[in-house]
This record gives sequence, structure tokens and C-alpha cells, in this order.
Amino acid sequence: MRRAYRLLACVAALLACRVAAAGTVQVQVQDGAGKSLADAVVFLESREARALAKPLQGAEMAQKAKQFDPTVLVVTAGTAVSFPNRDTVRHHVYSFSPNKTFELKLYSGVPANPVVFDKTGIAVLGCNIHDAMTAWVVVVDTPYFGRSSASGAVALTQVPPGNYRLRVWHPALPVGAPATDQALVVTAADQVVSYRLPGATGP
Amino acid sequence: MKFQWRPTRWGLSSRIVALSLLLLLLVQAAVFSVVRISVEQSARHQVAQELQVGERVWRRLLEQNAQQLRQGASVLAADFGFRAAVSSGDIATIASALENNGARIGATITALVDTSMALRAVGETGDANDLTPVLDELVGPLSRDAQGSQVAVVDGVPHQFVMVPMKAPVLVGYVLMGFPINQKLVDDMRAISDMHLALISDGAGAKGRIVAATLPPEALQELQQRQGDVDELPDHGDVLIARSVRLDTGAAVGGVRTLLLRSLSDVVAPFRQAQVALAWITALGVVLFGIGSVFVARRVTTPLRALVAATRRLGLGQYDVPMEHMDRQDEIGGLAKAFDQMRIDIGTQQIEIRKLAYWDRLTGLPNRARFREALQQEIDSQGAVAELGRGSLAVVMLDIDRFKHVNDVLGYSFGDLLLDAVAKRLTQQDLRTGDMVARLGGDEFAVLLTQSDAASALAVAQRIAKSFELPLAFDDQTVDLSAGIGVACWPLHADDADTLLSRAEVAMYAAKSKTTGIQLYDPALDSSSAQTLSLLTELRHAIDHDELRLFLQPKIRLVDNAVVAAEALVRWQHPVRGLVPPLEFIPFAEQTGFVRQLTLWVFDRAAALCGQLRAQGLSLRLSVNLSTRDMLDVDLPARLEQILQRHDAPAESFCLEITESAIMDEPQRALATLNTLSQRGFALSIDDFGTGYSSLAYLKRLPVDELKIDKSFVMNMQEDEDDAKIVRSTIDLAHNLGLTVVAEGVENGRILEQLRDLACDEAQGYHMAKPMAADAFAHWCQRWRETQAVAV
Repeated sequence: MRRAYRLLACVAALLACRVAAAGTVQVQVQDGAGKSLADAVVFLESREARALAKPLQGAEMAQKAKQFDPTVLVVTAGTAVSFPNRDTVRHHVYSFSPNKTFELKLYSGVPANPVVFDKTGIAVLGCNIHDAMTAWVVVVDTPYFGRSSASGAVALTQVPPGNYRLRVWHPALPVGAPATDQALVVTAADQVVSYRLPGATGP
Repeated sequence: MKFQWRPTRWGLSSRIVALSLLLLLLVQAAVFSVVRISVEQSARHQVAQELQVGERVWRRLLEQNAQQLRQGASVLAADFGFRAAVSSGDIATIASALENNGARIGATITALVDTSMALRAVGETGDANDLTPVLDELVGPLSRDAQGSQVAVVDGVPHQFVMVPMKAPVLVGYVLMGFPINQKLVDDMRAISDMHLALISDGAGAKGRIVAATLPPEALQELQQRQGDVDELPDHGDVLIARSVRLDTGAAVGGVRTLLLRSLSDVVAPFRQAQVALAWITALGVVLFGIGSVFVARRVTTPLRALVAATRRLGLGQYDVPMEHMDRQDEIGGLAKAFDQMRIDIGTQQIEIRKLAYWDRLTGLPNRARFREALQQEIDSQGAVAELGRGSLAVVMLDIDRFKHVNDVLGYSFGDLLLDAVAKRLTQQDLRTGDMVARLGGDEFAVLLTQSDAASALAVAQRIAKSFELPLAFDDQTVDLSAGIGVACWPLHADDADTLLSRAEVAMYAAKSKTTGIQLYDPALDSSSAQTLSLLTELRHAIDHDELRLFLQPKIRLVDNAVVAAEALVRWQHPVRGLVPPLEFIPFAEQTGFVRQLTLWVFDRAAALCGQLRAQGLSLRLSVNLSTRDMLDVDLPARLEQILQRHDAPAESFCLEITESAIMDEPQRALATLNTLSQRGFALSIDDFGTGYSSLAYLKRLPVDELKIDKSFVMNMQEDEDDAKIVRSTIDLAHNLGLTVVAEGVENGRILEQLRDLACDEAQGYHMAKPMAADAFAHWCQRWRETQAVAV
């Protein structure tokens, strides 16, 4: 219900931006070999954008069929993420990542307190019970972010023109590696950026 | 032939046995050495293979060990608390956690390596400096092979390292854990295999340091002395074969290897038992082989000895004993059969040879050998009886007259018939048992009369002579038979068979020469008696010591009574006996052949004299007598030629006188000699003409110049009308043939006149002069001429 509402708000914002001459940045992510790379996290950073970023509502990292769902979750700093356990077994979710170290000891159902990711960075989540379970929470401080589809495409809409840092991250990057960083000038017109991510190969 | 079989110390049988055993031993020795070598090789090969297997077992053991360690390490790496501690980022905490958790599974070295393979932390009690030198060698292979393990020496101790990834939950690094390889592991290996182990660490400063070993103390000491670098290790008479197994990665710094050692004698032991068994079999084989070859050798040598004995019997002339072992079916049997056939054949041949040796094939009579044997036996058997003065026997020997002539004229087949007829007539005599008729050879026969004295033997001889009176008639030929018969008696004339035979022969020749028909032996007849033997010696001595003298008897030419020739004669001036008459040594010299020397001596002196006479103005023809022996001497013409050259005398000055009988003995050879002599210029004369049987036809062919009428005719021609006729007709005959005639034996003037009337050419005799010494001859000639001059 809440989500449907937010969608409407977005549509309204889009319409408003059009007025403010905001454009859409279409990023096409490729791996080192030039193939389309899915599940890449793409976001545009700038000082103006950081000011516009607000914590997301209702972010959740569910556990289903002894897997995290989604595998990669992008949230803005300050977002409280809930960890609903939809399995019948208990999970013990932890993170030793520097931007967010936490531990949700053996639980089932939805823990009472969601985990607030207040620092940007990439937190790797694991389950102490199930070693095969891994998920990443990418914490950004910009409203312009997205995840590449199976065709490697990410569309960032309503990006006001200006100077941005185009940053791309993917789970296949070496452990602890930050998102790549590249300057990008956004104009009022829509643009398509092709981005090759070395060091990461698709599944 | 001396035939002796002498068994040597190494007889055939010993040699067979020795050779067999030697060969067997050689073969066994070869087998033994081959077995020994191959056992050694195969044992080493087997040990090498076992060591290979041992290496695999050892590596497997290490691998299992590593597996356990890795499992422990993995469990540890997944421990939440440990992960939490490591993720804390606090190095002290991390080191403490590493130490604490490594201790749980017995790791003495623990370290945390980050994802870029850099050392992040080591266990609290560890020293990063110890680990750093080997870290790169370890983490590279270990990160590539998660299931692998690596061995490296840290602080002098070999460690087995495993490395497990650490996920939190993604890979955040590796936990490296090292476990010391120690005596326990080595002992475990020893327990599951028959090998000894030595764990050797080749540290930078201490090469060949033995960390752990299962070896006995002595071997261990030896290994330490050799710094662990061995292929073989002696151990109480045993040999430990070594195989070196590297455990480390082959890094430059330090090294760990395990020496696997396997006892050779453990492997060889079963083979040794087989070798002992083989030795026993060989010993048994030698004994059996020895017995077998002795048996086989006996099978061969026993019959061989029997055959040797048998051949010795054959050598002794015993042909009646059959060979042994003829029933055998093998080669020995064949040999025995062949020997037996040889025995039979030789026996048969012996009989045949005996027959040939003892019997005359033509007449069927015994031959000389058989006769001599019979005579010998008779003498031997009578020998004992003879002592009593009773025994006596006689040999009658006869020689057919003119047999050669019969053969020449009537042919050999007729001669054979004649011999056969003579044999028949002899055997038809009334002979007693034990008497024997034999043909001694040619035309010579003999009769052995046992129990016979001289008188009865002569009676038998008479009977034989009488039986010969009847002429032999074959076809239309009739031949008068006559023979010279000699008789000799034992023990009267000789003590033994050979002497008796020769005495009978002497008597026989005497009978022939005297034409008496029958002659009993008399020592006076015998030229081979002791007296004549000494005579021969003396005669040689006479020539050497110049005891012979040359005498000459002149020949007068009847036409003018001139001395035209002389006959050279030899006289013997014996230092003791005085002048020896010619009859006492000339016939003897002819018998013995010594006459040839005499002839040459005479010719030599005559040739010398010839020159002297010529110097004195006397040109005479000198006659020299040639004997039968001379005629048969092919060298005679050459010898005469030499003498002539020596004295520079012409052959024409000589006349060579040959008796009829000398020519007729060997007419062909005599003719050849005469032709040669005639060609050389010698005048030739036939001496004693009329006494022989020379045919005129033959005479015509002879190259003679002169006939010399025998003195028996000349001396009697006065009284005997027949002799006178013979002389006359001979002279006529000779003249008709163109020959000159010399009469010898002119003893008085009337004969001389008679001869002159008969136109005889020359005369010789006592009437003119007896033979005189050569040096007196010239003087005589001078006187003769003087008397003739007076007479005229």
C-alpha cells in the first residue's frame, strides 16, 4: 500500500522535473570482457545530490530458501533495513564490514529492531548457520542510484544537469574494493553512458 | 710287432667319469652364478619397487595427516568467535586468537594471510621472521590447491603446512597452520610398512640433520656421518637400500627429505633358501651322475678290454676263439662283430698264405720253406735219438740239366710241363712215410729221406737217375732228362738243416760240373768251407799287398812262328804257401764274385805292360779272360775304358776272352756287353770253344773275332781221330765265319805241325812256353826270335 503510494509520488516528481528540465541517464554496464553485467550497482554522486538524499522507508533484506533476498540491496545512508526470516529455520545474520558491524543472533520471524545503515560503504552480510548465504548492502548518500537489469542497463531518471561522480560497484569486485569512480556531466538532455567494469565478470 | 695294452692311471673310464662330472659341475656353477646374479638383481629390483610403493604409502600417510589437519583448520576457520576475532582488525587480538585456536588442533605455527597473500598476523608465540623466508613457497601452491599441503623447515624443524580460506562470509584471507613432522609420524610409517625411515632436514647451516629416524643406533650413526646422503647403508651384515623422498617444494633455502630404507636380506632370504636347495640338488646330481657315468664307462671299457685281449690273441695267431660281447645291439656289439669277422677272415687268409708260403703252385709239391721246416722238424725230433747213434737222415737234391735251354728253345709252357713230369717221377719213387719231395725253386728239387744213411740215400739217388733215363715226350717233342744229384747226410755232413741243405747243394753242383751224375757231399767240394772263407780274406789281402803276379803265355802265329800275342794270367805269390796254382783260387773267386777284382787287376797290369812292351819294340795283342760275372757287370766297359785312359793304351791292343758258358748263362746280357766292348775297339775271343752248347746261329750274331779251341780237343788230336776232326771242322767253321782260330794246349811239335797243316792261325801251349812272369817275357821273346832265326 505504502509502496503504491510512493510510486505515485515518483510519477508526480518525474512530471515536475520535466518542467525543471531534468534528464535521464541511461548507463549500460559491461564486464571486463564487454558482456552485459547484471546486478551492478550504479549511482551518481554530487554535493547537491547528497543534500537531496533521504533515508529509504521499508527497506528489507529477507531470508528465503536459505538465501538472502535480494542479494544486493542499495539503500541511502540512514535507512533502517529489516531482516524478515521467511524460512522455517533460524538464521544468524552478521556483518563484520567496517561501515556496519552487527549481529542478529539466532532468530525467526521479523526481528523487532531493524538495522540502520548510517554509513556509506558496502556491508557484506553472512549467516553464521549457513555459510552459503551471502548478501551485500550498498549504502549510498544520493537519490540517483539503480541496479542493472539482466541486459546490464540502468536508467537513472530525473537527474538534474550538473557535474557528478559516476560510481559503479558489483559483488564480483575484490572483497573490500570500493565502487569505481568516474566524472560524468549530466545535461538536460537524456544520455546513454556505456560503462565497462574491469575486474568484475558476470555470472 | 709288439702289441701291448697298458692301462694308464687315467684310463678311458676315469676320463669319461671325470669329464662328465666336470661338465656337470661347470653347468651347475654357471646356473649357480646366474641364479645368484639374478637373485641379487631381482632382489634389488624388488626392493626398489617396494621403496617406490613405500614412497607412495609415505606420501599417502602425509596426505592423510594433512587432511586431518586441514579439517581441523577448516573447522577452526569457520568458528564464529575466531572469525569475529580475526575480523576485529586488532592485530594483538588476531595473534592471540590464532595462537589459541591453533593450539586446539596441535598446530605449532599459525598465521593469517590476507587475500593478496601477505602475512597479516602470526600466532602470539610465533615469530614472523621464522615464517617469512618460507611464506612465498608455501602460500603460492597452497592457495592454488586448497586440498594440498606443503612441507617446509621452520626454525630447523620440518613442518607440514595447510592453509584454509577464511570467509566472513566472503573470503577475507587465509589461515596458515603448520604442524611439526615428528617421530610419531615416522613410527607410524614404520608400523605399517617394513621400512625404516629417516627424516632429514637440510637446513642452510646444518646439512643432513636427522630429525627423526627408526633406524638402529649403528645405522643411524653411519647415516649421520654421511650426512644422510646414501644409496645403501650397511647394517649388521645386511644392506639397507635407500630411497630419498623430497617432501618440500624444492626451495633453495633448506629442504626436507625422507630416506626410506629397506633391508635387502629380508627380500633375499626366500631366494637363499632356494639356493641352498639348489646346492643340495647339485650335490645329489653329482653323486648320481658319477654313479651313472661310472656305469656307462664300465659298459664301454669292459668290452673294450675284452676286445684288446682278443686282438692280442689274434696277434699271437690264435684265430679259433670267438669274440665276446657280440650279442650286444649297440656300437660295441657292432665292433665286436666286426672284430670277429676280421678274426675269421684273417684266419682264412692265414691258411691261404700258409699254403702259398709252403706249397709250390706249379707242381703241387712243398716249396723250399716247407721243405726246410720239415727237415728242421725231423732233425729236432731225431736229435734226442741221435745221441744214441741211431738216427740219421739224408737230403737228395737235384737240378735238371739244361733246363734253361729247354725253356729258351721249347718255351716256358713246355718247361712247366717238364717240371711237372719231374715232380711226378720223384713222387713215384718208393718213399717211406715222413719222406718228402719238394721243389726248391726253378729247376731244383729235393727229397728228404728220413731214417736213411748215406748208402741208402745214394741208392735212392740211383733210382731217381734211372727213372730219368726214360725220355720225356710231349706232343711230338722228346726231351732227354738228366740231372745233377747231390746227397748230404745228417748228422754226418752237417749239424743243422740249413747247413745240410747247402751241403747237398754243393754236392749237387759238383755232380753237375763233373757230370758224374750223383755226388755224395765231400768237404773238399765246398767253397764255403772254413778254408775257402779264409782264402777270400787272403785274396783281398793279396791284392792290397801286391802278392798277385801277372804271367804271360805267348801265342805264336803259325805262318811265321812269330810271337803275335800273349794271354795274360794271374798267379798268386803267397808269402807262406808260395806260388798258389790258379785252380786253387780262380774257381773260388768266380763263385764269390771276387773274380771281378781279379779281372780288373789283370787288365790294369796288362795295360801297364802293354806300354812297356811297346817301348821295347814289342807290339803284341794281350788277351785278358772275362768271367761270367764280368759279363753281367754293366759297368765293366766303362771300368776298362778308365784303365786304358790311365795307361794311355789303345783298346785294339787287347783281346777279351770269354768262355762259351759265360756267354750262354745269360745270352742277352752277354750279347749286349760284347757289343759294347766290340764297339769300343776290343777284340773278342771265345775261350774253351767246343765244351759248351753254343748254337752256331747264336755264335754268328756275336761280335767276336777269334775262336779258341779248347785244349782238351787239341791235346788229344794226335791219338783221337774224332778230336782231330773236331779241331779241323772247327777251324774250317771259324774261317768260314771270318774268325781267326787259336789252338791252346799245344804240348809238342807234332801237334803244332798238325795245326799248321790244318791252317790254324795261332797256337799256344807248353811246347812254345809255359806262362811266365811278365818281366821275363821280353827276354823270352828275344830268345824265341833268335831260335827261330837259327831254325830257319
